[in-house]
Amino acid sequence: MTGMEEELVPGGALADVPVGRFLMVLVHGRKVGLTRLPGGELRAVRDRCPHKGAEICRGIIGGTWPPSAPGELAFGRDGEVLVCPWHGFEYDLVTGEEMYQPRPTRLLTLPVEVRDGQVLIRAPRPRLRARQDQGS
Amino acid sequence: MSDARPGEAEDAPHPIIDCDVHPYVPEGIRSVFPYMTEAWRQRFIRKRAAVGTEARSLRFLHPNGTVGREDARPPNGGAAGSDPGFLCAHLLDAHGIDIAVLNNLQIGAICTALGSTDESIVLASAFNDFFLQEWMPRDRRLKFAMSVPSQDPEASAAEIRRIGARPEIAAIALPSLNILLGNRYWWPIYRAAQDMGLPILLHVTGPDSIYHGAPNSAGGQPDTYVERYVTIGQPAESCLNSIVFSGTLEKFTALKFLFVEYGFAWVVPLLWRMDRAWRELRHEVPWVRKPPTDYVRDRMAFATQPIDEPADPRDLDRMIAMLGTDLLCFSTDYPHWDNDMPGATLRSLPAADRRKVFSENARRMLRLS
Repeated sequence: MTGMEEELVPGGALADVPVGRFLMVLVHGRKVGLTRLPGGELRAVRDRCPHKGAEICRGIIGGTWPPSAPGELAFGRDGEVLVCPWHGFEYDLVTGEEMYQPRPTRLLTLPVEVRDGQVLIRAPRPRLRARQDQGS
Repeated sequence: MSDARPGEAEDAPHPIIDCDVHPYVPEGIRSVFPYMTEAWRQRFIRKRAAVGTEARSLRFLHPNGTVGREDARPPNGGAAGSDPGFLCAHLLDAHGIDIAVLNNLQIGAICTALGSTDESIVLASAFNDFFLQEWMPRDRRLKFAMSVPSQDPEASAAEIRRIGARPEIAAIALPSLNILLGNRYWWPIYRAAQDMGLPILLHVTGPDSIYHGAPNSAGGQPDTYVERYVTIGQPAESCLNSIVFSGTLEKFTALKFLFVEYGFAWVVPLLWRMDRAWRELRHEVPWVRKPPTDYVRDRMAFATQPIDEPADPRDLDRMIAMLGTDLLCFSTDYPHWDNDMPGATLRSLPAADRRKVFSENARRMLRLS
């Protein structure tokens, strides 16, 4: 990431991570939502909307209505869109980017991997704990 | 005869296009009798409707007795704006105006509310023909915003196709109704306007906030002229909002809108709110493919008059900087009392911006052949 020390934090069993909603876990005291996309990919999302700080993992995971001709409604990306429960910003769970915006914001996501059926979340090591580690 | 101040023309050496000049037929409906059938002529005579087109009720009469400038009355004593020769001398010659877009509000008022649907269809054609034949040949600087009988969109489209190719016509003056302009009611008019390469020119017509069928300002009936004057432009905000969110500008990809005599200080806060709301609720109107501000910048403009006058004039400069000078088109509103003459308008703008506001933007918005 940025040269910052990282560590792998256990996120629970892969089998427990749902599609279409979040399994909430704590990573260094901060809430992170784990979900699987319809295609099976894992996502770990910090529970904080980059817009105004809402607990975004309480939002809707669903689809959206992409740009279309006047009066013609299309629907797609079902299960790949996270809608903030406050102001409704739409985020693409595949890319993490706010959708259809000329200057998009990004979700705060964390890399994940799976070992032996267990989810591991790669997170920066908290600064205070890193100092303690260095002193020991 | 002229109210030009010494040196005014020299102060404004750039070209000047005036997007809002109001000509009047001298004798009301009687003036356009030659431009209709005998049957309709007899109908209006029988109704004794030959002269009056006054749109305002007692409470909304101008407190000084007239909305027209007394000094703009022609020497023959007619109404201000009723003599083309005098208008050209008094406004165009005296102020160095190169092009003036004429918008007759008498027929606008008839089409909005004063006339029935059939009457407004007949009279719109008659008024249009009157000005095309009796005014436009008088001076090449005159351009015409043709009116349409907006109570019947199909008849309006037919009127646009009947005369809209005439090179004197620069825009379509669309008399507003109490139907937001993003409503598909208007589609036949938009289709015809787009086909003819003509922008839609929006302007209050007189019955606003008074009659059924006309647009109303929000919250209830104003009590006085001054109250109505301040809020009469509110429907412009509602209509801009409606035009963008309805997808009208995606449906009609070459259509343009010029908002006239609504001022412009309201536009920036409206666009801020529209852009934010679109970001939050875009999927309800997925045909809006980009931030509302982007549509407005591409396809709309705002005539300058009446320019607001904040206590600190620099606040107006700041507001213009936020809006951008690409969206402003100069207008006088001659011969009305609250007009803005070019020599006394936006003098603090840099020269390049003045050229935009006083002519270049209008050339982009209007159909000027």
